[in-house]
Amino acid sequence: MDTQEQELEDIELFQKHVSDRFTELSSPPEDDALLSVSWLHRLLDVFLCCEAEFEAILIMDRDPSQLSKPPFDRLIPEFIERAVKALDICNAVANGVDSVRHCQKLSEIVISALDQNPLGDGHAKRAKKALLMLLSAMNLDDKEGTHVKATERSWSFGRRGVNKEQIAGHFRSLSWQVAKNWSSAKQIQSMIYNLVAPRGAEASGLPSPIYTMNVIMIFVMWALVAAIPCQERNGLPTHFPVPKQLNWAHSLIGLQEKIADEWKKKEKKGMSGLLDELQKMEKLAQSLIDFTDSFHFPGDAEKVKEAAVNVSELKEIFGRMDQGLTPLQMHIREVFHRIVRSRTEFLDVLEKGSAPVL
Amino acid sequence: MDECQSAIPAHDGDLHVVAAAHHIVKALGTTKNLSDDLRKILIDLDAHLSLITSNIDSKGGKGFVEVEERLKRVERKIVIWESDRIMIWDSGPKEASDYLEAVDEVQTLIDSLRGLSMNENQKQKELLHRASSLLQMAMSRLEEELIHMLVKHKQQSEPTYIPSPSSQRNVVYNESVVSLDNESAKEASSKNSCSDECGEYIVDLVPEHVIPDIKSIAKVMFASDYGQEFCEAFIGVRKEALEQHFDILENGKLSIEDLLKMEWCSLSTEMNKWTWSMKIIFGVYLMSEKRLCDQVLGEFGSVNSFCFLEIAKTTILCLLNFGEAIAMGPQEPEKLLRLLDMYETLADLVIDIDALFSEDGGSFVRLEFHKLLEGLADSVKAAFNAFGVAVSSNGSLYPFPGGGVHPLSKYVMNYISMFPEYCSTLNLLFEDQHSDVASLVSEPQCGPTASLSTSCPMACHLRSITSSLESNLHKKSKLYKDEALQHIFLMNNLHYMVQKVKGSELRPFFGDEWIRKHNAKFQQHEMNYERVTWSSVVLLLKDDNPGSSSLSKSAFKEKCKGFSIAFEEVYKNQTSWCIPDPQLREDLRISTSLKVVHAYRTFLGRNPAHVDDKCIKHTVEDVEKLLLDLFEGSPRSLRNSRRMMKT
Repeated sequence: MDTQEQELEDIELFQKHVSDRFTELSSPPEDDALLSVSWLHRLLDVFLCCEAEFEAILIMDRDPSQLSKPPFDRLIPEFIERAVKALDICNAVANGVDSVRHCQKLSEIVISALDQNPLGDGHAKRAKKALLMLLSAMNLDDKEGTHVKATERSWSFGRRGVNKEQIAGHFRSLSWQVAKNWSSAKQIQSMIYNLVAPRGAEASGLPSPIYTMNVIMIFVMWALVAAIPCQERNGLPTHFPVPKQLNWAHSLIGLQEKIADEWKKKEKKGMSGLLDELQKMEKLAQSLIDFTDSFHFPGDAEKVKEAAVNVSELKEIFGRMDQGLTPLQMHIREVFHRIVRSRTEFLDVLEKGSAPVL
Repeated sequence: MDECQSAIPAHDGDLHVVAAAHHIVKALGTTKNLSDDLRKILIDLDAHLSLITSNIDSKGGKGFVEVEERLKRVERKIVIWESDRIMIWDSGPKEASDYLEAVDEVQTLIDSLRGLSMNENQKQKELLHRASSLLQMAMSRLEEELIHMLVKHKQQSEPTYIPSPSSQRNVVYNESVVSLDNESAKEASSKNSCSDECGEYIVDLVPEHVIPDIKSIAKVMFASDYGQEFCEAFIGVRKEALEQHFDILENGKLSIEDLLKMEWCSLSTEMNKWTWSMKIIFGVYLMSEKRLCDQVLGEFGSVNSFCFLEIAKTTILCLLNFGEAIAMGPQEPEKLLRLLDMYETLADLVIDIDALFSEDGGSFVRLEFHKLLEGLADSVKAAFNAFGVAVSSNGSLYPFPGGGVHPLSKYVMNYISMFPEYCSTLNLLFEDQHSDVASLVSEPQCGPTASLSTSCPMACHLRSITSSLESNLHKKSKLYKDEALQHIFLMNNLHYMVQKVKGSELRPFFGDEWIRKHNAKFQQHEMNYERVTWSSVVLLLKDDNPGSSSLSKSAFKEKCKGFSIAFEEVYKNQTSWCIPDPQLREDLRISTSLKVVHAYRTFLGRNPAHVDDKCIKHTVEDVEKLLLDLFEGSPRSLRNSRRMMKT
């Protein structure tokens, strides 16, 4: 079989794999709800697998000068540019995971407070304090200057209220780590910019997997930004210009539309992130705070029972976060390093083929 | 004592046991020389036993009378502070310790009440509830006190020794340095001078006297299972403090995208800031922060390392990100020195990093920074290679006017004269490449003059750079049509290279052998120049018929004219040539003079009869004077100088 045919076969196989992997992601088992911590792990794995295959097709056993000729002299540098943008998103998201871990820590206090028998006023107060902080941390409007919103809230328990410095301190850290004007939404927007599906002859050649990989990278970054709080997600694009007739893209597009729907729903209310555990935690926190607000010892037996159920659900979510969040950060770092390596490889190839380098 | 589970004994016999135990405790309590801890234990035990006794003595509600009394008393002590706007710890040590004692008492009461089996006793439940609520109130208050204390004392402990970033010498090595002479180039040396001054340096992030207070709050909160709240508060304030320190260092938070596109001048500044920030943050602040965490939280298991990691994480990730962005970037030659600074700084700090993050939770920090160190090592090597490539591939379209020292020579020699400062690092990094390069360098350093410094990896690399420079200069010299100028050019540049080596820290790395060889080279070019320029001229004055007497008039006139024309030609051309080095210029003039003037004088001397003839355009003195005009760099023609001489 000659190289041309082999190449076509490889491309076809690659795109079949892509399709399969995303189909799997679309129908997660019970435990692995869409955009849960474990689902995100799987998403990142899918990215790493696809990327490895992609690199193999493009670089292995290939004469570098081939990739310096049109249209690759434009496509490869574009891919590299998108990769760099993805790196900044990885960093922002990894940072965002820290704020989710903070929520996890606060929920731990709530659990300690309410996991008492019999439940007293003191316990309820303790829980309420933590719940207020938790809800604020989650409804973090991740704009710059976010501490403005924090002080707007009425911290009206205890005479002095909660120490504002402490609150502001935590909230600052989200926007502290990145440049002032950096916006994750804009970043995604600029990644989508100029993304054009190959047509005609190009559609059956190497430009096709390049396009595929671009789409995958953008989708993964987009999903991460939608799930995890990070700076300035206002205006996150909800539509990807991926033509529906592409075979490999069906599951991916389906997923994207599902997530986009959720995003649009929640966007109006202002929210932390679509991370499944965060969403569930928010609901539980809301009902628990209502409970603690109205609680007086010894409390309504029904309500106490209900609260206990909520607490045990919260425990479960806490457990999942406890297990999965730090590994998620590590996983994101792995993706980060892989993208860096990939970029270096492609730059080398371009240099060898003596094309102008970015 | 908190774990003391007092249960209501069921039999009278147990009553006696309790009474006996109580008696013993009281007896022990009268012993002198009891340590404070032991005394406290006995007091607690006494309290518990009293509780049991009082509970046994009565049945039902009345038994809790004493407990209720104690609860009421301690309630007053705690609640009274709630209406007060003043902070307890601001009020004085007695108030503080009284409060803590009260909280302790509450916890004791709770433990005891819990320890009694739950007999659906209404009073017991009520008391327990009251006590828990009181505890929560106290804990909330303690949290506020803690934050207040930390914030108040945080602001007062800004170390004053940190120099502002602007005071850092920050010279960017670019083309402008080419025009600097040796002295100011040395001054502009970009190495971070503070590397030796700033080792580990632990500061009191919180004044020493406050620590026991914080510890006492910690103890009480942890004892009551409110340790999480303590950590939250502590981490929150300390994290913000650290980030404020970091902000003072003015590291711009830049995205990788921006850094990759940044122009060199700004990037150089940022790299400098990073190097400095790493030293301050890791060498000073994190060491101090770790100590603080250990002091405050050391006795509560792994909490101290958890808190430390949470406090430090964001800041160190910021530093890590920048380093990674740099390691990713295109490694151009001008980045080399900054990269070396970054590499050396991190190499020094890596031990501290390993120590600070030695437990499991911090392993990723260690890994990432080790990875970064490797990345920076690769960057240094890449930049060095790029430098070599730049040197050899630097092309010229036109010959360098005047034949003086080419900017490339200045750039290269000035640049590499800064490398010896980084000798040990470069040697380490080039160890593996050493053998390859040594064989490439055409001048093997062996024999008695070879020493450790001339054969080290850096030295070999330096010589390969100068070798490239030489080859390039040869190529450039070919652009001159005039062969004499080719030699002047090469003479100038080789001489410059030798001077640079002799007059800088490069000397031990190049060695005397190299200097000798290159001296010989430029001297060779000197001789070649003379030959090419003057041989034919001098030949004109040669005596065709030695031994015969003076020439005929026409022959003499012919020779004179020939000489004048040739001389004037040389004069016209070579006054615009340049020999920047005064010593070299002088040498060449002297040697030229010796040849030419001597030949002319001899020629004129051999033909005394024609000396007064008007065909002699120039006297010997004229020639001598005119030769002084050569290589000044400003073109002259003889008509001008003639006029000047006449006036």
